[in-house]
Amino acid sequence: MKLKSMIMVFLTIFQFASLVAQEDSVSGLVTSSADGEPVFGVNVLVKGTNRGTTTDFEGNYQIDVNQGEILIFSSIGFETQEITYSGQSTLNVTLVEDLESLDEVVVTSFGIEQEKKSLGYAVQEIGSEEITKTKQQNLVSALQGQAAGVQVTNSGGAPGMSARIIIRGVNSLDPGADNQPLFVIDGVPIDNSTIESNGTPRGLSNRAADINPNDIESLNILKGAAATALYGVRASNGAVIITTKKGKAGKVRINFNTSLGFDEINQFPDFQETYGQGFSGEYNPDSFWPNWGPSMEEINQIDPDVRFYDIWDDAMRTGVQIDNNISISGGNEKATFYGSLGRLDQEGIIPFSDWGRTSAKLSGEVVFSEKFRFSGNVNYTVTGGNRVPHDRFMERLVYWSPNHDVEDYINEDGTMRTYGNTNPIYDARFSTFEDEVNRTVGNLRFTYSPFEWLDLTYLVGTDYYSDKRTEITPGPLGIDGENPLSSTGFITETRINSRDINSNFFITLKNDWTEKLNTTLRLGNDVFERDYERVDATGVEFVIPEFYDLSYASQISNSQDKRKRRLVGLYGDLMVNYDETLFLNVTARNDWTSTLPIGNNSFFYPSVNLGYVFTESFEQPDWFTFGKIRGSWAEVGKDTDPYLIGQTYASPSVYPLGGEVGFTRFSQFGDLELRPEKTTAIEFGTDLRFFENRLGLDVTWYKSNSKDQIIPVPVSETAGFSTFVTNAGEIENQGWEFIISGTPVRSENFRWDVSLNAAYNQNEVKSIREGIEEIVVGTQFGYGGSSVTIKLLEGEPYGNIFGTSYARQGADPNSIYLNESLPIIIREDGFPDRNGSQLVLGNTTPKWIGGLKNDFSFKGFDLSFLIDFRSGVEQYNQYDNFFSAFGIAEYTLNRNETIVFDGFLEDGSPNTQPVWLGQGEGPDGRNYGAGFYRNIYRTVSENFVQDASFIKLRNITLGYNFQGNILDVLPFESARMSVAANNIILYTPWDGFDPESFSSGAGGNATGLTGLGYPGVRSFFFTLNLGL
Amino acid sequence: MKFRIKKYKYVILACAFAFTSCDDYLDINDNPNNPTEAPLAGLMVNSTYETSQNTFRMGDITTNYVQYLASPNEASASDVMEPVSYSGTWGSLYNVMTDINDLILKAQDEEANHYEGIGQILMAYNLALTVDAWGDVPYTEGFNFVTVTPSYDDDSQLYSEIISLLDSGMANLSMETSASVGGDDFIYNGDADKWMKFAYMLKARYLNHYSETGNYDPNAVLSALENGFDGNEDDAQMEYFVESINPWADVAIDNANLFLGGWISEQFIESLDGTLYGVEDPRLPLMVGATDDGEYIGTVNGAGRGDAPEQGARSVLEEGDFYTTRQGPVLIATYAEQKFIEAEAAFGIDKARSYQAYLDGIRAHMTKVGVESTEIDAYISNPEVSMGVDSFTIDDIFKEKWVALFLNPEAWVDARRYDYGYEDFDLPENLNPDLGGMFIRRLAYPDSEVSRNGNNVPDVTLLDPVFWDE
Repeated sequence: MKLKSMIMVFLTIFQFASLVAQEDSVSGLVTSSADGEPVFGVNVLVKGTNRGTTTDFEGNYQIDVNQGEILIFSSIGFETQEITYSGQSTLNVTLVEDLESLDEVVVTSFGIEQEKKSLGYAVQEIGSEEITKTKQQNLVSALQGQAAGVQVTNSGGAPGMSARIIIRGVNSLDPGADNQPLFVIDGVPIDNSTIESNGTPRGLSNRAADINPNDIESLNILKGAAATALYGVRASNGAVIITTKKGKAGKVRINFNTSLGFDEINQFPDFQETYGQGFSGEYNPDSFWPNWGPSMEEINQIDPDVRFYDIWDDAMRTGVQIDNNISISGGNEKATFYGSLGRLDQEGIIPFSDWGRTSAKLSGEVVFSEKFRFSGNVNYTVTGGNRVPHDRFMERLVYWSPNHDVEDYINEDGTMRTYGNTNPIYDARFSTFEDEVNRTVGNLRFTYSPFEWLDLTYLVGTDYYSDKRTEITPGPLGIDGENPLSSTGFITETRINSRDINSNFFITLKNDWTEKLNTTLRLGNDVFERDYERVDATGVEFVIPEFYDLSYASQISNSQDKRKRRLVGLYGDLMVNYDETLFLNVTARNDWTSTLPIGNNSFFYPSVNLGYVFTESFEQPDWFTFGKIRGSWAEVGKDTDPYLIGQTYASPSVYPLGGEVGFTRFSQFGDLELRPEKTTAIEFGTDLRFFENRLGLDVTWYKSNSKDQIIPVPVSETAGFSTFVTNAGEIENQGWEFIISGTPVRSENFRWDVSLNAAYNQNEVKSIREGIEEIVVGTQFGYGGSSVTIKLLEGEPYGNIFGTSYARQGADPNSIYLNESLPIIIREDGFPDRNGSQLVLGNTTPKWIGGLKNDFSFKGFDLSFLIDFRSGVEQYNQYDNFFSAFGIAEYTLNRNETIVFDGFLEDGSPNTQPVWLGQGEGPDGRNYGAGFYRNIYRTVSENFVQDASFIKLRNITLGYNFQGNILDVLPFESARMSVAANNIILYTPWDGFDPESFSSGAGGNATGLTGLGYPGVRSFFFTLNLGL
Repeated sequence: MKFRIKKYKYVILACAFAFTSCDDYLDINDNPNNPTEAPLAGLMVNSTYETSQNTFRMGDITTNYVQYLASPNEASASDVMEPVSYSGTWGSLYNVMTDINDLILKAQDEEANHYEGIGQILMAYNLALTVDAWGDVPYTEGFNFVTVTPSYDDDSQLYSEIISLLDSGMANLSMETSASVGGDDFIYNGDADKWMKFAYMLKARYLNHYSETGNYDPNAVLSALENGFDGNEDDAQMEYFVESINPWADVAIDNANLFLGGWISEQFIESLDGTLYGVEDPRLPLMVGATDDGEYIGTVNGAGRGDAPEQGARSVLEEGDFYTTRQGPVLIATYAEQKFIEAEAAFGIDKARSYQAYLDGIRAHMTKVGVESTEIDAYISNPEVSMGVDSFTIDDIFKEKWVALFLNPEAWVDARRYDYGYEDFDLPENLNPDLGGMFIRRLAYPDSEVSRNGNNVPDVTLLDPVFWDE
């Protein structure tokens, strides 16, 4: 280090001495290579001196310089250029955009920008283009495959359906906990909860879906506890920091983009198309049983007009989405603004499902003086649509016989047309569930800088939404012989109002102690309040058919839920930078919460992290551009939900009955001494860059332990409560994250960037609570006792799926795991024996997740694709369970075969007995009852817990930017056309619809239970962007 | 160092601001949705409603064991007497006992003696439902969260508690009360006299459970009966609501919608259609449904429906019969049952009284389910039924009581006391091999208890009897 600085000093003296007194003035224009636009605010510095200036608003600069001196042009987001001055009076410079600049700036807590190299923890930034390119309308889905250690799962393919994001594994033993990160827009947290429908799943939205992705400038994912220590309790699962677009000084720009997309199912299960309606091989056109009849050949001998429809295709349609956005921005040195309007309309593949979003945004910044700045931002959105009962739709499609046209669903008088079973399309059309969310997210930021070393910042924001939901299921229409959807019909009106207020005041003290040592200290106070209220009113039995109003229902029931939570925090954050080499960051925070008992509601937690850029200290070979190691240790506290403490009474939903309201002691009791949870996390990592940043490697190892978990511990109901909310248990996550990025080709016309990220997470439930053996996270129905349950057990990973299996010879009776490699025991009747006790059949948490990004650009063309994958994950395939029970699955084609099951009899001898797989009397004269698939196959959960790994092409985009000569004749500054495709399954062992689907919605943790979810879709888009 | 001082100033200022306002600002955690106190009437509503529900739930568990119903599925766990975890019903029983516990404590506070008395009777009834199924269960350490792992009380001691709860209930009902019970009581609409009779009836029932033990005192049973029900109009039952229909009607409707359940056992059909007893019982068509062909065909317990289709080929519970009407009652304790208790207790003391009580019991139940009086007379006068005092045996009482207790959990107590001795009453097919060819004697403790209170759960098998079943 000493040597290097000495050389620098010598050089400086040498330069200074050799060039004196020949000072000229040079001026010029700095433009960007990307669009030829002037660049404002570029630092222009004479190397080795303190003479410098910045470009003005038109991109012009002027500076005094001596011949032979070197001019350095630098600006964030551009590669720095050095030009030796050779006496000319004008020097125009074109800066090349640099996406992987070393001085990459990332936005961390409270909208504070920090140089990435100074951070002692992993952080990953995703740019605006990387988000909009995915064409995902849900911001959360747009993050799929983009960042290491970030697992994003769509809950299904419905328009506006929620997506779940988990960073570095699940950190809570509470099955009801939201394990998702905090979402922060421009320094102010917003609500990203998912409020699912009661009753049959409807696929509602997570609230981040209200954000128009086109308004986002950049997005940072803070993964570790260290990164989030400053946001306190609400960011204990990490944070997604969103920076929205702002106006730039310069001429007014107008951007318009329009996009048209089409959706279709990306993968179908394998269906049999041979056997028709009936049971036991007997055809019956009125039978409940869709597929246990004889073959079509035999059916057509009975009735030649019977067809076998492809009901799975017929019942669906092509989804369409149309997205239009316009934005206008501009400003000058004193004030800038950005405004946008967007409208999205989406129709899903299940008929009558739709969703839309209208968004309007306005933001601006005013610089009153050197000392005082003010910025504001307001975003208003209206979102919602009709949410079809997709689980029920798909279930009814399972029951629907393919010998009847499913599209012929309605009679002229408006009643359902059916041979007996409920028509799914009729149900989807008339059992409506409409939601409309009106939301305003806004914030104001005041910055006062009375001295160079002092900033005072006040940031206040609100997130208010009303969510209006109306669910209607019609009763009988009063027409003779009709098949009503419900014998009574009902209407439920739901009104949800939620208001968040965040207030954050902080002071920043900066000081350069010496040339090499500088510090920044930030001290602040932070207040949060959420006020939530929900009212539900249900009316049953309509007095006038088809007149859906609460006032005209025979019975009315209501419920109300009010919640208020407050948090107050005080924090301090000290950053020390020594010579741009060693970076130390210490934080401390104390939170006070309203949700814990007074006396236990104050909690303090510190963090420390250190980054060391070792390439600054040691001479490295030329190809070793940059190297940093980093480490951090942090604690984060966590509070809980409101109103958990103590004992209460509740009125069960069955009341009122006969005008009387019953009361029962509420089954949950909250510990009067409840304490905050504590997560301790450590992290080590390194960031290495080679060959002038053309190759980069970033590796992180982390481990986090969450202790004193506040969980609803199931206790013996005999004690007076069934759950006791108390501090109990610990969960550990540890894992590795890898990012390899590179630019294999970079020439004038052609550029190829590639980046691969991968993460491995290992999870263990360290302890629960003495006397408590398990916690149930979720359970899902399977026929014949094949229901599965996700349970947490001490010493086991999160997400084990328990269910029934085939009995195995030589199985360890003490093992909770199914050993699939052992031979199956065959019963005396020749069929496999079923083990009814619950064994672990798989795990719902992927071991490996990751993504591969490629960007190619050639002149005006660009091609990019994003692949993401997950592996080491199993799920319960409820569809498959139904398909086997109803003879729909392709593998049931062998129903008329006689086979010998592989396996051994109880006495150890190999099975040799042939058995028939069909129903009723077999060719051997034996009565096989309901047959193998109904008697045995469907009752064994093992058959339906399946590998749900996949490799998906999340997005592929081919675009063309019109070039200079064409643009000259067009009235636009810029124009771009692109085509894209999304969510194409490249590989999966899963037999069924898209394995990326789960019933509980993004707020739930039982992700391995697919349910009869809304099938996943692949999409194709055509997009046009125009700039004025 | 000038800097440092400045920094601290701010910290101190900020802290001062925070602390002064914090406590009040954060003191907002009182639950606005759930009250911390419940009104007596509200607890009464839920306690009576859930008592009826629990009667159904326990009946639903035991109907296969007493062969009223049979599973349509072969070797279904409950039908073949495998250990099944009834965590849900266990939880429901303890939930309502917890509410009744609170009702009693609150009534004591407010000197609402009638509430307290009814609470004690309901507690005795629900506790007996629990003990009769599981034997030793938690009680003394239960309900009030004194521990998260309550210990288990001895079942015979719990029976003493049941009797003393009934005695206290009677005492409280005969006192003045600060608040009268009314429409919040779904069983008797606040009629204290009927509650008093019900308490005596239950006392007779539980004293009669001692029949196989050395402590059996038939005279005590008969003396309790003196003050019991005077006719069907005194029956303890709860009628259902438009908003919440009779749970057996629900089973019937589900079955019609192919969520199979409520299939009638072959034993029940053959007992009533003349096959086993040589007399056709006019109650059969009023209690269960016929096949599409108008026949009554049962399902063999444990065998499943075989190749019978899901609908139309077997007798099932059908909506609209006496036990399966949407707003019809669930019977908790009836005058008919009381008559059979009388018959059993009097059998060794006064056989003529016993015989008369037996005939009265049949008539009471037939009237209850709506048999025409001419048909009642015809049935009762049939020599297979009216065999005369001399030929009259204890078997006749148990058979007719079994019919009269259709779907009621009390039938399983009888079956065990009677050692499943009904005519031609076979073990189910595919019987749980662990039972070694014997009938089930108790329920297995539910998984929820094993996982949450495992150290206290007694180690028992399905063959270990409850204390009264020796």
